[in-house]
Amino acid sequence: MSPNEITEEELLQRVARGDSRAFDELYDRLSPRLYGLLRQMLHDERDAQDVLQDGFVQLWDHASSYDPSRAKAFTWAVMIFRNKAIDRMRALGRRTRLVEAASLEHATLGDGDSLPGADEDVQTRERAEIVRSALQQLPAEQRKLVELAFLKGLTHHTISETLDMPLGTVKTNIRRGLMRLRELLKGGRDGGAI
Amino acid sequence: MEERFEELAALSALGMLEGDEKRTLDGVILRDRALKTLCTELEATVAELAGAVAPFAPPAALKGRIRAKIRSRRTGAAKYSGNYWAFTGWAAAAALAVSSAWLWMEREKLQTNLQSATAAVATEIEQTQKAAAEQREGLEKQIAALNGEIASLQKRDALAQMRIATLQTTVEGYKQGVAVVVWDSEKHQGVLKLEKMPPVQVGKDYQLWVVDPKQPVPVDAGIVRVDSTGFAKVDFKPVTEVTDASKFALSVEKEGGVPKGEGPIVLIGP
Repeated sequence: MSPNEITEEELLQRVARGDSRAFDELYDRLSPRLYGLLRQMLHDERDAQDVLQDGFVQLWDHASSYDPSRAKAFTWAVMIFRNKAIDRMRALGRRTRLVEAASLEHATLGDGDSLPGADEDVQTRERAEIVRSALQQLPAEQRKLVELAFLKGLTHHTISETLDMPLGTVKTNIRRGLMRLRELLKGGRDGGAI
Repeated sequence: MEERFEELAALSALGMLEGDEKRTLDGVILRDRALKTLCTELEATVAELAGAVAPFAPPAALKGRIRAKIRSRRTGAAKYSGNYWAFTGWAAAAALAVSSAWLWMEREKLQTNLQSATAAVATEIEQTQKAAAEQREGLEKQIAALNGEIASLQKRDALAQMRIATLQTTVEGYKQGVAVVVWDSEKHQGVLKLEKMPPVQVGKDYQLWVVDPKQPVPVDAGIVRVDSTGFAKVDFKPVTEVTDASKFALSVEKEGGVPKGEGPIVLIGP
């Protein structure tokens, strides 16, 4: 983003006022990251496109509820799109379960470079590196559980059953992993117990 | 902060909480500001994980579909205006003009439709009323015919139960006389009419008898007194019930009549 470029937060606030040009611009900036996320969550191009469409319509409708003092625009958008993807997975039910076994194996974050067609800016690439780096610092089990919960929208009970892991262990690892990520993404490198 | 609440906050941020656990967290958040802050930060942390996913450009056509969908929705369409504020007034005026013209045409169309519908309804009502009147007239005729038929049947029935008998004689001196009995078999009573009957001797009376085969002797039906011209018309009812009046007889008996016939029978019939 050039210094003169409008931030995503400002664009979202303009969208809240009904600015369709701002919406177009925001779509161009957010959609590759959000579409990438949806593809990885849903493992289906068509489902990912449907959710992306519904998500942006909702973003247009509810942009006025965005509070820039509480979250970045991308963070706010991820909450919308991820919830929609989870709803989609739960609605698909059986089909999701059929691919679940296979998809669990691939439920990993930050496992490669951008795919063709993506247009990342420097800041996005840098932020992605920070998140990937933070994930790499987590113990393997914590990382695995956080990724499963994040990408698959599975409850701790389902994860416990699927992985044949005690429920308490699942919850503890998720708590520790997420608390550690929070510190790392805030810039903390205190090296405390994980 | 208790690890238990940190755990709930982490699970909540990932959208994993359900039921009682979610209610517990929601309740504690209301009075624990630090926990609320933690929840918010963890939600942001979770959202940031999306940044680690490799971006992928969506199909180019998708953007157009999303814009079209937003435009097509009534609420969204009004809002999706862009920055072309300069055109807003003209657009609004044009829209108003078009809307007015459209509304006027709709009004005319509705009025025409209403008139047609009203005329159609009036015609239908008229036809219905006419049909009802015809039906009523037909029914009245039917009722009149039925009433006539009933009256005729009643009359026929009344006549059926009436029996007329002419009494005859072989006795000289009574051959001029005419005696007719009309007998109502249902009411067990009758009328006797006598004409040109000769007067009875002093101390004598005519007495009428009803012959019923089921009874051993003729049943007394009362005395009959004729005037100077030999005429009499009397209603009579036998002293005991007669089920089968097969014959009627007139005899000359002692004055005032007798319970059992003693004198000569001057007329009998049929």
